[in-house]
Amino acid sequence: MVEHILVAFNFQCLFCLPVSSDTDEIPGIGQYEDFHTIDWQRDIARDRMRHRYIVKRKQNSLFDLVKGAHDAWSGWVCVLLVGLATGVVAGVIDIGASWMSDLKHGICPQAFWFNREQCCWSNNESTVSLDLGNCSQWLTWSEVLGQSREGAGAYIIAYLMYIAWALLFASLAAALVRMFAPYACGSGIPEIKTILSGFIIRGYLGKWTLIIKSVGIMLSVSAGLSLGKEGPMVHIACCIGNILSYLFPKYGRNEAKKREILSAAAAAGVSVAFGAPIGGVLFSLEEVSYYFPLKTLWRSFFCALVAAFVLRSINPFGNEHSVLFYVEYNNPWIFFELVPFVGLGIIGGVIAAIFIRANLYWCKYRKTSKLGQYPVTEVLVVTAVTAVLAYPNPYTRMSTSELIYLLFRKCGVTNLDDLCDYNRNFTDVKSAIDLASAGPKVYRAMWLLVLALIFKLVMTIFTFGIKVPCGLFIPSLCLGAIVGRIVGIGMEQLAFNYPTIWMFGGECSTGKDCITPGLYAMVGAAAVLGGVTRMTVSLVVVMFELTGGVRYIVPLMAAAMASKWVGDALGSHGVYDAHINLNGYPFLDSKEEFAHTSLAADVMQPKRNETLSVLTQDSMTVEDVEVLMKETEHNGFPVIVSRESQYLVGFVLRRDLNLALVQARRTLEGLRPNSLVLFVNSNVQQQPQPDSPPPLSLKNILDMAPITITDQTPMETVVDMFRKLGLRQTLVTHNGRLLGVITKKDVLRYVKQMDNEDPNSVLFN
Amino acid sequence: MWLKICVFLTVAFMASEISAQQATINYRCRCLCPNTDSNDTKAKQYTGIDVLPNQCDCDNVVLPQMNLTGEKAQGYCLRCDCKYENRNTTIIYVVVIIVMWIISLLVVYMLFLICLDPLLNKRVQNNYTEHTNEEEMPGGSEGVSHAMGVRSNVLNRVGHQQDKWKRQVREQRRNIYDHHTMLN
Repeated sequence: MVEHILVAFNFQCLFCLPVSSDTDEIPGIGQYEDFHTIDWQRDIARDRMRHRYIVKRKQNSLFDLVKGAHDAWSGWVCVLLVGLATGVVAGVIDIGASWMSDLKHGICPQAFWFNREQCCWSNNESTVSLDLGNCSQWLTWSEVLGQSREGAGAYIIAYLMYIAWALLFASLAAALVRMFAPYACGSGIPEIKTILSGFIIRGYLGKWTLIIKSVGIMLSVSAGLSLGKEGPMVHIACCIGNILSYLFPKYGRNEAKKREILSAAAAAGVSVAFGAPIGGVLFSLEEVSYYFPLKTLWRSFFCALVAAFVLRSINPFGNEHSVLFYVEYNNPWIFFELVPFVGLGIIGGVIAAIFIRANLYWCKYRKTSKLGQYPVTEVLVVTAVTAVLAYPNPYTRMSTSELIYLLFRKCGVTNLDDLCDYNRNFTDVKSAIDLASAGPKVYRAMWLLVLALIFKLVMTIFTFGIKVPCGLFIPSLCLGAIVGRIVGIGMEQLAFNYPTIWMFGGECSTGKDCITPGLYAMVGAAAVLGGVTRMTVSLVVVMFELTGGVRYIVPLMAAAMASKWVGDALGSHGVYDAHINLNGYPFLDSKEEFAHTSLAADVMQPKRNETLSVLTQDSMTVEDVEVLMKETEHNGFPVIVSRESQYLVGFVLRRDLNLALVQARRTLEGLRPNSLVLFVNSNVQQQPQPDSPPPLSLKNILDMAPITITDQTPMETVVDMFRKLGLRQTLVTHNGRLLGVITKKDVLRYVKQMDNEDPNSVLFN
Repeated sequence: MWLKICVFLTVAFMASEISAQQATINYRCRCLCPNTDSNDTKAKQYTGIDVLPNQCDCDNVVLPQMNLTGEKAQGYCLRCDCKYENRNTTIIYVVVIIVMWIISLLVVYMLFLICLDPLLNKRVQNNYTEHTNEEEMPGGSEGVSHAMGVRSNVLNRVGHQQDKWKRQVREQRRNIYDHHTMLN
């Protein structure tokens, strides 16, 4: 819908912007300054003019024909490159992070670049255990230091080494972020959302941010902090998209067009993070993108595909998949199980609401108190506490991805872990896997998991927002998976003990394995993630691409929906929107409705008793313009016919005016402070007096089709126009005379004021 | 740039060197089987490294190591779970080396910026005039370049870029660590 309106407006605007080709443009026109919003209408109209110019010249020569062809396919080439680069970077991060994570436990002396799994690749020793190194090639630090593998001394050494490595990695990450690219900290998704909605943050998607975020996320994941690398992957992909878009001027020089590439890059980011290409496209559509025409959808699809393919061929985990916790299920589920699934959704929503509230409170505290002055110290303290508390519990000691894999996995005939310690009888080999009573180790594991749940929840609250790169997907998946697995084991034991009660409908009476606890873990994970981020469609698709089972879509949908409802009822925003609000980013949320009955006249600038700064079309001198620009700080000025009539001619941006004046001073001979500045065609003018200086014509920087409204327009309509057209400002008229201006900043401030929040918290220049 | 090329050459050279070593087995068939010993419930694993993908099953991997025969072997094998897996050791090696290089380069550069740069800058400060907004104004940097002379032009430009970058980072730091206007 949005794009149709945009198209309609572009046709209107085609003839209004005389700035046509690259040749006669003043350098710098069409760029924006830091912390400004872009004008979608203007940028898209500019691109259309450029395109027309290229099409028109196509017949002229072969070279122009090639140029036209290059222009046509450059979007696809750009997303292809973005996909390739994203896949490679994700592979590097996956391999590097898994290697450094295992470095906390020990080393592979034969080949130091192997992690534990790779080190024991060809190992043929028969017993397997998860918590100790499971082969003799892999040396734990206690063995390296000359102790034995087990025993109290070895435990203490391993404990201390674990803490020491964690602190080393975390301090490196914090120091690198602070030194080279402070923008690399955090998850990045709130900022990406804001940028895609048309905000400029210079350097946020730059080279240094890319490098430091990639290295930093490896380090902070390896430090064992309660965070994941999936959210930052979106930021990394967007950095790649931004850098590569400069290879194609069509995208690099046009902020609105660049956002098409960034949308595709965000899709590629999720695609490599979860090995879920379709989920990535839907994530980009549902969660981050603001302007998403069909063309962008196809490009995102292609980009996500390429990225997933590249990562899959790198095969970072050696399991033929792009994620560590890929599982494959094909057990059917019973209809009654929808009840516990919805229950998991409710629990997930509650956990998510607790998390968002507490995290927001802590972030606000950090922002306003003295704590914010010690970012590196804070990272170190959080790391130390995490490491000290995490090590004793085997489920928190392992990396979060491994824990999720363990929880998602189905217990087979071979159990690697306490979680699968059922009293199964293996003497009768012909029978299928039965329901079985849980052994004592399962109960022990459940206690440990409850402790892990509390620990992870508390630590994630304090971790999300410290000044290292940190994502939220993995911790929330983990929280949900723990809850889900516990509920799943409970259901399984219920079915084992009372196989014939009505709710199982006779499915469990034969004693075969009718309940899969791993599936509950999956549903629980989806529920918490859905509650935290308020994703629905993309979340379900990501989860089902993780399992490769279409039949679990309904349970996942039920849980995601329940968790979204509970989350919406308990707290109004998802975590990303909450952080956008906290930071005061200028993001006009299209999800919310504007429910006040004010008019444009109430919001418009200037207020009563103030004067509107305007330019006149043909009566101001260069000096007058310079004085006006010096005395005011507005980012643009309306141009009117004359001060008496106040009829509107157009709108000119401060930045463009500035550049044009500088350019004119350099190139135009005989420009004096008393030269007239003309915003109309000079031939309309009467002949100038012979002694007066030549006038300066600035018609080419004037936007002659500014969007106007009348002062009686309801604010609801105005907000809708800002959202759907991506406006930067609109002019308010009364009886055809110019009355004032409403900018995006005014709208955002007004919305904040109506919600009883501080209107000055909007970050804006 | 040169540094990057050097890194790549080193990596390529070392990668070809280690390919002869033993840590380069890229395929395996891993079978997990239940433990027949009733006291120990942990699974047993068997790994075959020289089997073809279509031969990755219990008969070819587990039984030769088990010396079980007949009915009992058949029954045992029903419980085994075999999976064929592959990896690429060269990619792992190259990636880990690159990661180590990048991290150490960054750390060295960081230490340089912390320790040496203030000392060097103190000397330059006198003949360096502060100028703002030169990214907006094309030609704004002309005055300085001319004053420094043509010979050191390239060096100058590098230094100039670095100053610009440093100013940007300082700005970012101010936004995040001091004013707390972003990324809280």
